[in-house]
Amino acid sequence: MHLLVVEDEADLRRVIASALREEGYAVDTAEEGEDGLFKAQSWEYDAVILDVMLPKRDGWSVLNTLRESKKTPVLMLTARDSLNDRVRGLDGGADDYLVKPFELKELLARVRALIRRAAGQPRPILEIGDVRIDTVSRTVTLADEPVALTAKEYSFLEFLALHRGELVTRTMIYDHLFDENEESLSNLTDVYVSNLRRKLGHDLIQTRRGQGYLIDD
Amino acid sequence: MIRSLHWRLQIWHAVVLVTVLGIFGGVVDYLQWQTRIQQVDAELDRATEIVRARMWPNRMPRGRRNPQDNPPPAAPNNNGRPVAFDIPAPKILPHHDDAPAILIQAQQPAPSPQQQPAAPQPPDAAPPAPPLFGQPGDPNRFRRRPDGREDGRPMFDPRRFEPNPKLAEEFAALYEGNHETLPYFILWMGKDRILAKSANAPDIPYPGLKEEQGLSERRVQTRVEGHDQVRELAHGFRFDVNMLVGRSLAPELSAQRSSTLLMILAGMGVLAVGLVGDYWLSLHALKPIAKMATTAESISVKNLSERINLEKTDDELGQLAGVLNRTFDGLQAAFEQQSRFTADASHELRTPVSVILSHTELALSRSRSPEEYRDAIETCRRAGQRMKTLIDGLLALARYDAGQPEQEYTLVELDALGRECLDLLRPLADERHITLTGHFEPVRIKGDRSRIVQVLTNLLTNAIRYNREQGSVDARIFPLENFAVIRISDTGIGIPADELPHVFERFYRVDKARSRAEGGTGLGLSICKTIIDAHHGTITIESEPQQGTTVEVRLPLAQS
Repeated sequence: MHLLVVEDEADLRRVIASALREEGYAVDTAEEGEDGLFKAQSWEYDAVILDVMLPKRDGWSVLNTLRESKKTPVLMLTARDSLNDRVRGLDGGADDYLVKPFELKELLARVRALIRRAAGQPRPILEIGDVRIDTVSRTVTLADEPVALTAKEYSFLEFLALHRGELVTRTMIYDHLFDENEESLSNLTDVYVSNLRRKLGHDLIQTRRGQGYLIDD
Repeated sequence: MIRSLHWRLQIWHAVVLVTVLGIFGGVVDYLQWQTRIQQVDAELDRATEIVRARMWPNRMPRGRRNPQDNPPPAAPNNNGRPVAFDIPAPKILPHHDDAPAILIQAQQPAPSPQQQPAAPQPPDAAPPAPPLFGQPGDPNRFRRRPDGREDGRPMFDPRRFEPNPKLAEEFAALYEGNHETLPYFILWMGKDRILAKSANAPDIPYPGLKEEQGLSERRVQTRVEGHDQVRELAHGFRFDVNMLVGRSLAPELSAQRSSTLLMILAGMGVLAVGLVGDYWLSLHALKPIAKMATTAESISVKNLSERINLEKTDDELGQLAGVLNRTFDGLQAAFEQQSRFTADASHELRTPVSVILSHTELALSRSRSPEEYRDAIETCRRAGQRMKTLIDGLLALARYDAGQPEQEYTLVELDALGRECLDLLRPLADERHITLTGHFEPVRIKGDRSRIVQVLTNLLTNAIRYNREQGSVDARIFPLENFAVIRISDTGIGIPADELPHVFERFYRVDKARSRAEGGTGLGLSICKTIIDAHHGTITIESEPQQGTTVEVRLPLAQS
């Protein structure tokens, strides 16, 4: 999953990005509103974490403009916790609203929920045959036996599972699984697929030559 | 409170009213009495005239030959209207030559030149005394020539005077009717020789009336006679003849008593009406105060936007309401400023707290390398430092908001201070390749040394931080008229004109990102302004974006 974090406070931006990356997300960052808007409009992020108080263009404005073209889930962060601000945020198009200071755990959980909802998968546990994917704990079991996956492998699998029945193109994979700082190497994708097949069975992921991959219904 | 103010007003009004009514009533009463007495005196004057007209028989009033042309004084007429107090008009008897003379009532015996009047006195007469009227011995017996010698013609022929035994009756007949108002008269010669008197004349020892010499003029008095008061008018005439006319004041006294009673009753009625009306009026007037008090009580912290509502705004109560409402306005503004400040402050503090919490949470989420831990701890330290700066600034502002006592002010040498601050900040300037220069003239102000240092440091730091590469900062301190001027100019990034008015606001930052990177809190300039205000100075900023900024501080010079 590819996320965007827009926050002007450098230390906070760093720690949020680190935490999300450790969870296996690909994370892009922006430190002011204009840059954040530009990035959000240019890429298909799975979620945007948006601070309200930003230089150059504040979070409300970014949200409004983004909503004209994209349905990307947005979680707003702010130090303002008055009722009016919360209502304004949610009514303005934000999907969730978190008040500083927050626990990282809560931020991660809300991001997960956002992504689940956006993918139309409200349940936290995805089951494909014998494979059981727990999106909360980010673990996978095969016939109740835990399977060790790297973070990237898990992200890839989760992405495919959330788009179950849909064709996941390479472009989508680039967009959603790699952040801007990584070079997109198509080999990596193949490596992930082959690793997953090895660990979880060859029937799990289907290849569509020249187009992409999918997990069957 | 209102109750007692109300009753106090009542009592004072009653006192005033009673006093005023009393004085007024007393004056009116007195004037009434004077009027009555004047009328009585007029009557007595008339009676005097009546008697006097008959005093010199056969003698015409001066200039008149015809007695009919000059009748004795007319009865009181009062222009045809009835006379007050019902005194009947005396009848006028015609005056003719053979009218009996009033003068003589035959006290003296037949004329006998050498004889003193040793004749038996009438029972009610005073002891006789010599010089008789027209008798030998009377110095005015004969006419005198201009040179003073007598010429033999008697001045006054006593034979022409005949005793009039009916004098008193005739006099009484002139005043018909009310016996109470019947005047009396007494005519006497010398000191004690009664010539004539009316029947109702009282017993008066004449020497007591006027002891010294004979009466020569008109004297009036009021005298107590038994249970009654009488008014008497005494006249002196020629030939040592004196007349007393008097009258009882009984009717006047009773009339005065009843009119006084009437006035008292009327006064009490007026007082009652006044008190009732006063009660109602002051109740009406004080009601708005009660209403205002109720409204003011209901205005509390929770309900600070309510105001006192009065219809009339131009009277004293309206002014009071206006003053109270303005006070509430001030309170509300102060509260709002305070809650805004608290909201801003807590907002500013949330971010560093968030940083600390998140970093520590992440660092502790699993085992990490020492570098990662060090980084997390360093970040926390930075955040903590920022919070400390913020809290210090907020506390300083709060202290200034609450008022700073000026006794702690001492004499401060600004030029020395300037050099100190310059030395303090030179490392920072060198680090950023900023040229730092200063020209300081000796100048002294009265103030708090450490606070002035704070101001100078803050301004110089801003100048250094928000500067361009290889830029410069110039600081000057000099006196100007009554002020000490501190001028700091830099070649920095400047402040846009539309943001310039806001730079002194708390937490206001022009370039948020840069300011935060420098560890700024947005409070520096507002703290400077608060300190300068407390020192009765001014601070102004001129700035040109991309060119530079000049900050000028003026402080009053210390009076030596």
